[in-house]
Amino acid sequence: MRVSAADSGLSARGGLVTAGILSLLLQILLQILLQLLILGFAPAPRGHGAEPPGAGGLTASPEPAPPAADDLFLRRIHLDLAGRQPTFAETEAFRADPSPGKRAAAVDRLLAAPAWSQTWARYFRDVILFRRTDPRAAFMQAPLETFLTAELAADASWGTIARDLITATGAPGEQGETAIIIAQMGETADIAAEVSRIFLGIQLQCAQCHDHFTDRWKREQFHELAAFFPRIAIRPTGGQGPDRFEVVSFDVQPRAVRGRKPPDNPRRGDLEHEMPDRDDPSLPGTVMAPRFFLTGQSLPLGTPDLQRRHAIAEWITSPDNPWFARAIVNRLWAELVGEGFYPAIDDLGPDRIPQEPERLADLAAGFAAHDSDLRWLFRAICISPEYGRGSRSRSSPARAGFAANCPQRLRADQLFTQLLDTLGVDEARAAQAAARRRGAAGPVPAPAEELMARYRLGTPRNLFGQVFGYDPSLPREEIVGSIPQTLVFMNGPQVAAALDGHRPGTLLGRLLRTESDDAAVTTALYYRALARAPSADELATCLTHVNSAGDREEGFEDVFWALINSVEFLHRP
Amino acid sequence: MSSSCPNRRSLLRALGLGAVGWGAGGGFLPGSGWGPFAAAHADGLRARHKACILLWMQGGPSQFETFSPLPEHSNGGGTAAIATAVPGIHFAEHWPEAAAVADRLAVIRSMTSKEGSHPRATHLLHTGYLPIPGVRHPTLGSIVASQLATVAPPDSNADLPPVVRIGARGRADSGAGILGMAWEPLEIRDPDQPPANTTALVPAARHERRLDLTARLEGGFADRLPQEAADHRALRERASRLIHSPAMEAFDLDGETDAARALYGEGDFASGCLLARRLIEHGVSFVEVVCDGWDTHADNADQTARLAGRVDRPFAALVRDLGDRGLLDDTLVIWMGEFGRTPQVNPRGGRDHFPRSFNAVLGGGGVRGGRVVGATDSRGVDILERPVTVPDLFSTFCHALGIDPSVETVAPSGRPVRLVDGGEPVRELFG
Repeated sequence: MRVSAADSGLSARGGLVTAGILSLLLQILLQILLQLLILGFAPAPRGHGAEPPGAGGLTASPEPAPPAADDLFLRRIHLDLAGRQPTFAETEAFRADPSPGKRAAAVDRLLAAPAWSQTWARYFRDVILFRRTDPRAAFMQAPLETFLTAELAADASWGTIARDLITATGAPGEQGETAIIIAQMGETADIAAEVSRIFLGIQLQCAQCHDHFTDRWKREQFHELAAFFPRIAIRPTGGQGPDRFEVVSFDVQPRAVRGRKPPDNPRRGDLEHEMPDRDDPSLPGTVMAPRFFLTGQSLPLGTPDLQRRHAIAEWITSPDNPWFARAIVNRLWAELVGEGFYPAIDDLGPDRIPQEPERLADLAAGFAAHDSDLRWLFRAICISPEYGRGSRSRSSPARAGFAANCPQRLRADQLFTQLLDTLGVDEARAAQAAARRRGAAGPVPAPAEELMARYRLGTPRNLFGQVFGYDPSLPREEIVGSIPQTLVFMNGPQVAAALDGHRPGTLLGRLLRTESDDAAVTTALYYRALARAPSADELATCLTHVNSAGDREEGFEDVFWALINSVEFLHRP
Repeated sequence: MSSSCPNRRSLLRALGLGAVGWGAGGGFLPGSGWGPFAAAHADGLRARHKACILLWMQGGPSQFETFSPLPEHSNGGGTAAIATAVPGIHFAEHWPEAAAVADRLAVIRSMTSKEGSHPRATHLLHTGYLPIPGVRHPTLGSIVASQLATVAPPDSNADLPPVVRIGARGRADSGAGILGMAWEPLEIRDPDQPPANTTALVPAARHERRLDLTARLEGGFADRLPQEAADHRALRERASRLIHSPAMEAFDLDGETDAARALYGEGDFASGCLLARRLIEHGVSFVEVVCDGWDTHADNADQTARLAGRVDRPFAALVRDLGDRGLLDDTLVIWMGEFGRTPQVNPRGGRDHFPRSFNAVLGGGGVRGGRVVGATDSRGVDILERPVTVPDLFSTFCHALGIDPSVETVAPSGRPVRLVDGGEPVRELFG
């Protein structure tokens, strides 16, 4: 139950009509854009060439897999740290480099590049926004990505980023760090659950209604954590999109307006958090004082909002709290090595037993000692023998000690970049083409167009993400493809146009005109799509197909189609 | 190793819910092509198949301007009531066609919930649950389709998706969730167009050669990632059926006569309802058709009259048409939105959000028509008789469709989640 507050200034209704109309316009616009799906293609040139086949990864053996071959390692490290495949030139140079330290050098080079910041900003954006309970928080994608990219590029520590996200106030469109709050639309209990999940890897939300069944957490402990957040309020501003809201502190109880009982509205904020009566939620709940369940640190009732949030942010990110380091070490290890120390990416805690606990403890201690420096952690993982091993299927039985690296399904942003690079399409020109088609489909209201542009909604990348995105915190074996995704690759008009071998403007069209050797064309397509040379068998299969197709262009269209529709294309090796 | 939570995949398998593809269809064998499977929608199979159509009124339709008029009270907003085919039951004046089939409709006038925010209430009325971060509650369509498949598996050659959602315009905030990709609704934005990317770009024979080539080239990688390769191959095959299957003619409204189109009337919602009937006939288990715009904070009277003008005729036509085709007894038709509207008309002539009492309409699927369940006080504010909660409503859907609402799935956190969160079916709607 909520403390009653009848401040009409916080009532949601006023701005909803106009905002509703605009949001409807945007929905219609998105619908049009989705119909025009998905990629506006304008090819750009890029080099190619023929090379001997590279070795692949290795599979089941009781021993740890030997180190991955150079080509495979390079594709892995580029997709992981730069969000794209290596170019042919990069692959060649890496292979030719005799230096024993070349893998570590590649890691350092990629960690220093801007692409690393953007790639992982997009990752953490998805970690936060895939758990949004309010679909309108989709607007937060661009502001959050901008905020995170800037923080990562500026070498902000994970502790700094966590503190900024937990203590955020202000306009969501300007302050991307309000994303966790906006994603849960101010709902006190949901914000608490998300803060605990993301920064501690401890899932307390089961304890919202009852003591945790399998872990030690009590219902009171959850609500004591929630008591750090009741005073977060989301105030309507009369603006549009994310600008229609503002995250503020609710520290003064306004005088109730007589005769008006406001509807239950989580956006309003409460002075104190109440744990609902379990048997009868309509009864008044128990007022809870803020108390951190891991350390017992607490604050008195009546503490102002920002003081509460700064306190819990400090306590969570403290080097004395091992779960802050363990949670991010487990998450990034799971992303990069393919399986985590704990079975779940974000469900750790003292009642779960990790594999290789010493390895985890060492990394967590090192991370804490380095002031939660993310680049230090990425480097430590990426130069580890576990990361560098050959691949094994996630579905093959796991063996202790991270005997091999598990291939990961590409996230939407990695896959989109790779698709454009493979087909030789420039993203900026694709976005322009999409905007032109949007204009041709009918007039777009100026405010909607402006909002779409500002929040990068309706761009080819954004639309692609709507179809291909997945929650990166889910167990990876649960991430399966979908039929609409498969249709985009197999039968999307834009992909088909970019594959057209008869058109002189496409990558394939140019390649076929300038290269008469079919084996060289095949090898070039393999490097484009999979960043490796074809094996002898694969080359023979392709050449046989091209010869039997009758039409050289059609034959190679089929080969290129087969490569981008293969399971290998979808995975980081 | 860590906790006692059951393995979700094995549990889903035990429930008969595959990870890939649609329905309980068996594997698509190499080289089997798309030949004679068109028999999948042979007439004999259709009639016995339970199905459900949800007419979703996005925004929260006013109960007073729809099926709970209050002509005697100022809260009625001046909207007149009209007689229906059933003596003693009155609808708002904008619903003459629905009134004519009132003998096949049951109105619940005592729906009640506590959630007054659009996204949260939309989630609640679609899944039976309030949203919880990290728990992906399945939407009603996915629940219905997955559970119907365990009772009566669809023909193994079925090419059509089991759940189709028409006109949601990207607003849909719930999908198959925990039930898995197999039960994900296929979104149709424009009922007069085929689903996205399903218009064949190359001849079927060449498409099949491409699939063969892909499978051969994939061989080496498939040795290393057998499960991933098998899953992706199954997806390519299912998606290919959407491009080349003759069953896809179900999506083509040009297959309807002018008389049928005239019966349903004009507009996207009419086309959506007609498409829903076609899809049900072709073996689809659940179709949702969305009519957006019911969030009438201003000019409620004009807005609801306009919206009713879009919905009334297709709604009634759908009920008649299903009845004429002998499909109504096995097809539950639901009309509802996420909440109702305030009894008092606000200064802008609008009505605001009001979850405390609202309405919903059911027809077909064994629901006895021509009756009203529940009542509010004379001001239309508080429920006097037979409150029906959202879990009660969902239990009622399950009862009509022969689904066990107590089946549990397990969220990734290990938390067990019942398909329906308690509640009792409204038994007086049946028998």
